[in-house]
Amino acid sequence: MNESTLFLITFAVYFIAAFFYFVFLFSKKESAAKTGLSVVTVGFFVHTLALIWRTIESGHAPFTNMYESLSFLAWSGALAYIIIEYKYNIRKAGPYLMLIIIGIMALASSPLMPDEAAPLMPALQSYWLWLHVSVTLLGEAFFAVAFVTSIMYLVADSREKKGVAKEGAITAEKLDSISYRCVAVGFPLFTLGGLVFGMVWAYKAWGSYWSWDPKETWSLITWFVFALYLHTRIVMGWKGRRSALIAIIGFLAALFTYFGVNYLLAGLHSYA
Amino acid sequence: MKSLIRFLSSVKLAIFLIIIITAASMIGTFIPQLRSAEEYGALYGQLSELLIRLEITDLYHSWWFIALLFLFSLNIVICTLTRLAAKFRRAFKPNLEFENQTLLAAKIQDRFSRKGNLEKSEGELKKGLRSAHYKIKETRKEAEVHLLARKKILGIFGSDIVHLGLLVILIGGIISGFSGFRTNINISEGEIVPVLGADFKLQLDKFETEYHPNGSVKDWKSTLTVMEDDNPRLTKTIEVNHPLTYKGYVFYQSSYGWDWQNPTLEIWAIKTSDPSSQKNAFVRLGEKVIWDEENLEFKALQFLPDFIIDGNQPRTRSLNPNNPAVFIEVYRGEDKISSGWIFAKFPDFSQMHSEEEADYKFEFKDIQTSQYSGIQMAKDPGVNYIWVGCTLLMIGLFLAFYWPPRDIRLILMEKEGKTEIISAGRSAKSKLALESEFKRIMVSFRRSQ
Ligand code: HEM
Repeated sequence: MNESTLFLITFAVYFIAAFFYFVFLFSKKESAAKTGLSVVTVGFFVHTLALIWRTIESGHAPFTNMYESLSFLAWSGALAYIIIEYKYNIRKAGPYLMLIIIGIMALASSPLMPDEAAPLMPALQSYWLWLHVSVTLLGEAFFAVAFVTSIMYLVADSREKKGVAKEGAITAEKLDSISYRCVAVGFPLFTLGGLVFGMVWAYKAWGSYWSWDPKETWSLITWFVFALYLHTRIVMGWKGRRSALIAIIGFLAALFTYFGVNYLLAGLHSYA
Repeated sequence: MKSLIRFLSSVKLAIFLIIIITAASMIGTFIPQLRSAEEYGALYGQLSELLIRLEITDLYHSWWFIALLFLFSLNIVICTLTRLAAKFRRAFKPNLEFENQTLLAAKIQDRFSRKGNLEKSEGELKKGLRSAHYKIKETRKEAEVHLLARKKILGIFGSDIVHLGLLVILIGGIISGFSGFRTNINISEGEIVPVLGADFKLQLDKFETEYHPNGSVKDWKSTLTVMEDDNPRLTKTIEVNHPLTYKGYVFYQSSYGWDWQNPTLEIWAIKTSDPSSQKNAFVRLGEKVIWDEENLEFKALQFLPDFIIDGNQPRTRSLNPNNPAVFIEVYRGEDKISSGWIFAKFPDFSQMHSEEEADYKFEFKDIQTSQYSGIQMAKDPGVNYIWVGCTLLMIGLFLAFYWPPRDIRLILMEKEGKTEIISAGRSAKSKLALESEFKRIMVSFRRSQ
């Protein structure tokens, strides 16, 4: 038994969960969704073990290369989904979120991702790294759930407007409010991890808390988009379609911060 | 004036500015910053001049970007201030005049009557509300009592504290931009260097590099002593992520290198026809070595750690000792008879231009020099504002999202020995939680007759 076996088991368990969710999606059997949720929860625990294992084995935080941080992102996504699902019952989001999580796991295990537990370069040896990356990814996981519920909102809303909404389907209004709640959890987490801890760490390592490097700038852009979401909603009363679109753009900005910057733009962060 | 203030306090302006600043920030990540005019010319051709003129090539420090940030700060201040008076009133001088109808029209409301006179009901009601952590204000009007029970009032100010935090961060950024500075100092073991603008000096006691088993650098460590008037004040070993801070100056480990100004060179002169006749010398640049047996003198004139020929000129490609080379001259008496470059890594490649048939050759065996520690020195008086601002920001976010204010308004009226009670709950951000709490309080109050 080792870390990569645990990772594979997690992967397989998430697959099974996705299978049950898709059975639920097509057959509308509530019990399939319930099984799906239990399976994800099991997968999440195995995943947690895998991360702990990795940490002990390598002696540093489990997100210092692309493989590790993708795995951690998938873990955060599963956590965010489980919390939201237990709280608000958004089963319908399950299949789509599982697809995203499996996609991230697949990316993580692709041979393109360097996965050896490489020794850390000096700047990365800091517990601020732990705090910075884990809290940011956790915040982004909630943005991911908001992204899915916002897309579901757009679909539900157009169905309701056309009068073809199905009996008992989750209402657009409820999806809108769940999206808002996810942003309300994600925004403070992202602010704390991405901006505040990021600045503290940058100051400790490079002596400058802000240097407009592309990754920093894109975190700020993501943050601005969600600030826009909050203000249009709270002050100008925007809801529904426009809010959903901003949340979708916000998550895409977060994705770009995460992937695009590493592969398309260069900067101080390019090793992470 | 009034319309200016209205303009500067509007949330529409805020949204406009957020969009513009976001878009500008994006552009700055796609167009490489702070390159040379030639590079821009190669990348963008005709457009490059426009980019440079508009300072898009140093976008985040351009006058127009800073002006946008300034306008944004002004927007935050004025917007927050213009709303603050009303918020204070709401928090500390709330209106206790409410009508039955208003309460009954609320979404969360209740109406019932119970036995007992007004004082008794009031006392019990207050007790119930207080045990649910509500704070109560009251007013009396003829035969009516109005109660306003509230909790988490501070939540009202969440957004203002967020905005204040942001403002403090922006101010800190401006201070950093104008009066912060950073420089690199290279310092060798034993050396003492003055610190720019400070009344103390810095001495490097010891410098070492640690390696991972695979040979990559694990860490650099410099033991530094702060010297004030020649007295040591403080000694600390710094490494990456663990700087030394003294009197507002921060010293970071940033790099390392070799001091090529004053290396010791090991040069062997060997007689070609009789290799047992040798002169092994350890010299510094410019020092003459006398080789008695051969009646020769030689000296090293120039040293390059990473020799290449560029054009026709030798120069060094880097400061790493990849291809160390030394230029030597050979004399017999007053006459220079030979000169040329010799290479540590390519002994056979050495070529000397000789005036006479030469029965000797030179080999460049080794170099010894001290390593220096690259230390970045920064003084940033803005940074404390940043941490204060971040703290305010997080407190404000917590209050705005997780400390939602709630209130319950109640009207108590005495009617024929009974008390009639109308109540309504209000919470913009936690309706569901308030609804269940409201029900619980009212139900237990009805039961307690
Ligand atoms: C990126 C910058 C900004 C951030 C991160 C920010 C953050 C926030 C947050 C977290 C809230 C509370 C939202 C809620 O209660 O759900 C808020 C509310 C608000 N913001 Fe901002 N804000 C920013 C810029 C501005 C600016 C420039 C203005 C100026 C017009 C402004 C005006 C307001 C107003 C009027 C409210 C509602 C206040 C209330 O009723 O409590 N914000 N802001």
